[in-house]
Amino acid sequence: MLTKLAGGRIYDPANGHDGAVGDLFLQDGRIVADPGPGAAPDEVHDLTGRVVMAGAIDIHSHIAGGKVNIARLLMAEEHRMAAQEPCGCVGLATPSTHATGCRYAQMGYTAAFEPAMLPSNARHAHLEMADIPLIDTGGYLVLGNDDLLLELLASGAGEEAVADYVGFMLNATRSLAVKAVNPGGINAFKYNQRRLDVDENGPFHAITPRRILTALAGAVQRLGIPHPLHLHGFNLGVPGNVEATLDSIVAVDGLRLHLTHVQFHAYGAEGDRKFSSAAARVAEAVNRRPNISVDVGQIMFGQTVTASADTMAQMGNAGLAHPKKWVMMDIECDAGCGVVPFRYRDKAFVNALQWAIGLELFLLIEDPWRIFLTTDHPNGAPFTSYPELIRLLMDRDHRLARMAELHPALPEHTILGSLTREYSLGEIATMTRAAPARILGLTDRGHLGPGAVADITVYTDRPDRHAMFETPDLVFKDGRLIVRDGVVVAFLQGRTHVVEPAYDPKIESWMARRFDERMGQRLTHFRIAEEEIRGGNGLVRHACQPGAF
Amino acid sequence: MASDRPTHPIGRPVVHHDVVCPFCGLGCDDLTVEEEPPSTLAVRSTDCPVARERFSHTPVAEPPRVAGVPVPLAEAVEAAAALLGAAQAPLVAGLGTDVDGARAALSLAERLGAVVDHALSDGLYRNLAVLQRTGWIATTLAELRNRCDLLLVAGPDPAALHPRLFERWVAPAPAFQTPPSREVVFLCGEPLDTTRAVLSGLPVTVLPGDPARTGDAAAALAAALADPSRAAGAAGIGAGDIAALAERLRTARYAVVAWGAAAFAGPHADLTVERLVGLVRDANRHTRCAGLPLAGHDNIVGVNQVCTWRFGVPLRTSLAGGTPRHDPHRFDWARYAAVADVVVWVSSFRPEVPAFPADTTVVALAPPGTAFADEPAVFIPVGTPGIDHPAHVFRSDTVVALRGRGLIDRGLPGVAAVLKAIAAALPQEAPAC
Ligand code: SF4
Repeated sequence: MLTKLAGGRIYDPANGHDGAVGDLFLQDGRIVADPGPGAAPDEVHDLTGRVVMAGAIDIHSHIAGGKVNIARLLMAEEHRMAAQEPCGCVGLATPSTHATGCRYAQMGYTAAFEPAMLPSNARHAHLEMADIPLIDTGGYLVLGNDDLLLELLASGAGEEAVADYVGFMLNATRSLAVKAVNPGGINAFKYNQRRLDVDENGPFHAITPRRILTALAGAVQRLGIPHPLHLHGFNLGVPGNVEATLDSIVAVDGLRLHLTHVQFHAYGAEGDRKFSSAAARVAEAVNRRPNISVDVGQIMFGQTVTASADTMAQMGNAGLAHPKKWVMMDIECDAGCGVVPFRYRDKAFVNALQWAIGLELFLLIEDPWRIFLTTDHPNGAPFTSYPELIRLLMDRDHRLARMAELHPALPEHTILGSLTREYSLGEIATMTRAAPARILGLTDRGHLGPGAVADITVYTDRPDRHAMFETPDLVFKDGRLIVRDGVVVAFLQGRTHVVEPAYDPKIESWMARRFDERMGQRLTHFRIAEEEIRGGNGLVRHACQPGAF
Repeated sequence: MASDRPTHPIGRPVVHHDVVCPFCGLGCDDLTVEEEPPSTLAVRSTDCPVARERFSHTPVAEPPRVAGVPVPLAEAVEAAAALLGAAQAPLVAGLGTDVDGARAALSLAERLGAVVDHALSDGLYRNLAVLQRTGWIATTLAELRNRCDLLLVAGPDPAALHPRLFERWVAPAPAFQTPPSREVVFLCGEPLDTTRAVLSGLPVTVLPGDPARTGDAAAALAAALADPSRAAGAAGIGAGDIAALAERLRTARYAVVAWGAAAFAGPHADLTVERLVGLVRDANRHTRCAGLPLAGHDNIVGVNQVCTWRFGVPLRTSLAGGTPRHDPHRFDWARYAAVADVVVWVSSFRPEVPAFPADTTVVALAPPGTAFADEPAVFIPVGTPGIDHPAHVFRSDTVVALRGRGLIDRGLPGVAAVLKAIAAALPQEAPAC
């Protein structure tokens, strides 16, 4: 079946289109070249005046896995309240799998990636992601606190051995990328250390966080994994943590590095309140170094729940829990999880400044190919707040009006009021489509050129950008219309994106012994078979290019 | 999965190595199971009584029955769909099944507007109630094995329900602790003889006390942490013992407090859990300490995980009226069975189905050979996950999911296939977002 999307204004940064009027043709789930005047489309959508973009891609959203279920359990109140509503799944911090897929699709998103899949919990995460309808998914594997890696490093293993280990783990757990969460810190917390400096030897294995960070960044480069090491940095949420953030940038010595939810890592300790914005310093460092990318982790005001593998940081925040309850878990010699409900209050100085720091980062980092729109769902806010966030980026008057409602001391502590930048539609398309696809190595997504998967979103161009991005007119997934005027009109299953880097299988015999001796699990059972992912249908493999990055 | 199965050499038993055991939630994946063709299984590698008993129970297939009369599967499915289509207050429970079976059961329940619960959720709910009320600090089995230097077992010995707990997760020396030593304390409960034997190489202290007052002992310990010299006795345990244990907890490097909530007696057993959770939290002011709540027979943890991700709320939930409503009291299956008119009972791990009130219509999915107090309206024999077909099950610590494989082919359908067929035979409705 041939479908024609006629006469829309096409925003397709990867192919150099910035709003020019044109037609798109879809066939068998993909975008095809214009078949010429002789072709008779089976279906034509007249998109005159409408804005057309590829389906949006969220590179960092906690949508599945153990901590998400713990968060759902802890947030029983919000589910009880939701049960009073006619369709109770709107805007929840902890939506069900079904609501997750629906809400994303209704906002024009066709993929979202779980950024913290623990090796031991990977099978669970995949089982859960398969139950999210409509959108594509995938997971980033959390490494850097796993005792096996630390043992390997402590034994003086070279770069090849580390890369083989990482390569095996990515294959075995069907992951798309490598994430490091407070490298060494989660492990140290298991020995009751509540802080670990970048150059301090951790307990037991006596390895420094810097060594872990550089080893993982090096392994990612060696294996040729498209996505750079995805780093949840040091001292999350602690005033003054900008020094460690800037130090991480230097530590990787030119290797590619993605700093995730960098808003939480861009804090100074200056001023009367010993808490200040260091967004300008971070932005300056990012602007100067093309090997660095970031996503923001914007906070938005209201009740949410924070869920992170970073038990060291979460234990530090537990006293701020709202409501007053929280869960910490030490997990399976590979990481941990901390779940702390939290309410960001617009009248609280610290929260207002966090909000401003996030927006400063968005506006000061110049290259929309290297900064991504996230709220670190649900940690900064539920992903359903993206339309409002887009409005804040595109509409300075709205930004100033919102700022005026916040804590009165805020203007003295942020330069936000003086920043005049407004994102264009093309920049939004870059930041939410083209750039995420590129930085994850999804070559046939995030753009609208021939051969791309027909994941497409069509909007009415409204001056109120919140309204515009909240309710697209049409959303196509794999060429099928799934959403019309904000309503899901068809259900289908997404796919799971993975990489399968080559590695020397000799590492497996060492690992098999370690698994027998320590993990109480056979390595063969740890490995996830292809048929376990969506019943064997739906793995999408992305090429690794050793040495290419 | 046929490809997983070794072919049968004539007349000789087939040996399956590294078999995943799906029964008690400890995730043993090292079993050697011998198959005497056509379908008799015997566990050779462990004395675990649960594994031995369950793997050996593989009677040959029998046909489904409707009102006691053997019928082909398709007919039983039609009959079940007809009964369910007319149900006013359906209950989909038991839910002893793998992840796929749980998905199918929950989809069916959603379609019917039923209440869902697991047969064994009493123990789980003692834990979940506390998790939801206060949160907790918890750990997993490999952390216990590799980092714990002091294990405090609260209440009756959990090995009664999880037989290889001590053998696999406590007896080996902790690999990531210096020195690699461990001691075990039993509080308000006595170790079984098998547990004592497995722990013979480790220092073991037994403080018997009154199991019904385990919570009091936990509270006394928590109170003594700040200043052990001011400890008070509790639950029949003297002040001196409480003081010594509090001191030991303070100086442990990584203490684990383990309990099996299913064994706590009394209607307020969740208060016992709450006090244990409080003890763990208080101990973390001095050192590291984590709880290990054990519950996990018949994949209850996996089924609860699926329910939580599917609906945002755990089991004991009503799916009548659109948005899921969770109520651990009202939607406890044992209570709801009194008002339910049609019950779908799923028990694929064990040949046991409870008795229901006389006017209840029961559709039972259970292994062949299951004995019933009253013949159910529909009985569909099903295979056992991890024996008859590949299956995902969760470990008790909620983190690790394992995949068991199919060992034998008795020609029995899996729960997922049967429930999907029943759902497909119901009048169709468009799914809503
Ligand atoms: S302890 Fe549990 S998992 Fe291990 S063999 Fe026995 S029943 Fe199976």
